[in-house]
Amino acid sequence: MTTPAPARRTTNQILIDLLMLNVGKISTIIEQQGHSIFGQANLLSKEEINDYSLEFLELVVMLLQSATHMDRRSAEFNALRKFFTTFSQQIQARGSNLDEFVRYIQFLQRVFLDNLEADATVDFAQSREILLLLASIFNDIILDVFHVYLEEKERTIQAQQEELRQTSTPITEIWDGVLTLPIIGTLDSTRTMMVMEHLLSRIEAERARVVVIDVTGVMAIDSQVSHHLIQMIRAVGLMGADAVLTGIRPEIARSLTSLNIDLGMVTTRATLSEGLKEAFRRLRVEVRQGNG
Amino acid sequence: MIPGIHLTPIGDDSVLLEPGDGLDPTDPNAYLVPLLAFLQKKRARFLIYDLKNVALIDRVYYEWMTAMNSLCLISGIRMVVANIRPYAAFALSQLISDDPPFACALDVDSARQAISRLAGSDTGTGTGP
Repeated sequence: MTTPAPARRTTNQILIDLLMLNVGKISTIIEQQGHSIFGQANLLSKEEINDYSLEFLELVVMLLQSATHMDRRSAEFNALRKFFTTFSQQIQARGSNLDEFVRYIQFLQRVFLDNLEADATVDFAQSREILLLLASIFNDIILDVFHVYLEEKERTIQAQQEELRQTSTPITEIWDGVLTLPIIGTLDSTRTMMVMEHLLSRIEAERARVVVIDVTGVMAIDSQVSHHLIQMIRAVGLMGADAVLTGIRPEIARSLTSLNIDLGMVTTRATLSEGLKEAFRRLRVEVRQGNG
Repeated sequence: MIPGIHLTPIGDDSVLLEPGDGLDPTDPNAYLVPLLAFLQKKRARFLIYDLKNVALIDRVYYEWMTAMNSLCLISGIRMVVANIRPYAAFALSQLISDDPPFACALDVDSARQAISRLAGSDTGTGTGP
């Protein structure tokens, strides 16, 4: 009489059994690694690491129990991905880098494989299937984490660009109805559009009547830059404000004449202070030295 | 009454023109004669064109404005354009290669002050703290 051969376990079932039998050991290993990576760098507290480790194991079990074959659209798989997305966002906000987190995910995958080796009932074909299943799950998770990092980097870059935009157009209301715009560096088309947009909005908001554009910080000028400057001055005029251009260096003035650029219709003054005096004159404001 | 244009005498020999949605700048002939007739009837010397509700000034609209300015100049009327929106000013500055032939003012009040100066009866005082 022969005993019937035990039914062949599915890949998911093998992994569930592995987790059930070794949950304490696996959990401890994961927590130790978590402390080693995140604890030492003070990225997560001991309690947080333990909570994350337990939650991870619970979600993995739920995923494996949900179906015979893994379904990427299943709620359980989405829950696991969401877990890692939140986890990575949290530690990224605390200063972790991507390498550390990816190494941690790869470690989680390795823990399963290491424990699998101890199970003599798992044949080669099953080991291969498990390896493929784990690779499939963890690759998706790593991709998600990459996306989270990229999105965060994108947000950081956008925030820095906005900051740069603000600092590159330091428009100041220096007097009631008088705005100053010091231009430093080069005026290309993109920057001109940005500066103009900002300047025209400020003219409207501050009800400015005179704008002093100071180009002391512009080291070189070509026909395109001068064209942009003229456009800017014309736009200021269309808004009903007067533009005064100041700080044209001798070498820039020379370049302008060489390029046959006519600034005849633009009010120019040598220095910013002369430009301010012109603005005050137009506003009929008199600045006098006080007695005593 | 000119369809698409609202005209209001605002004193100081000035008339305020507010274009409405019905204005068709591609057909200036439909407006110029009745507009001038109205201005002459009111003995206007200044026309304030309020662009507060005009989001964008394209070439066609600019040509309509310059045509109106030319008509005003022939009749001894000065046109002042007020309230060009920032985006419209930006777009127009890219479009034109010379300064516009009409005066521009930040708003209607500024336009009236400019008119006062032009009329030689400036009542404005210096601003600033």
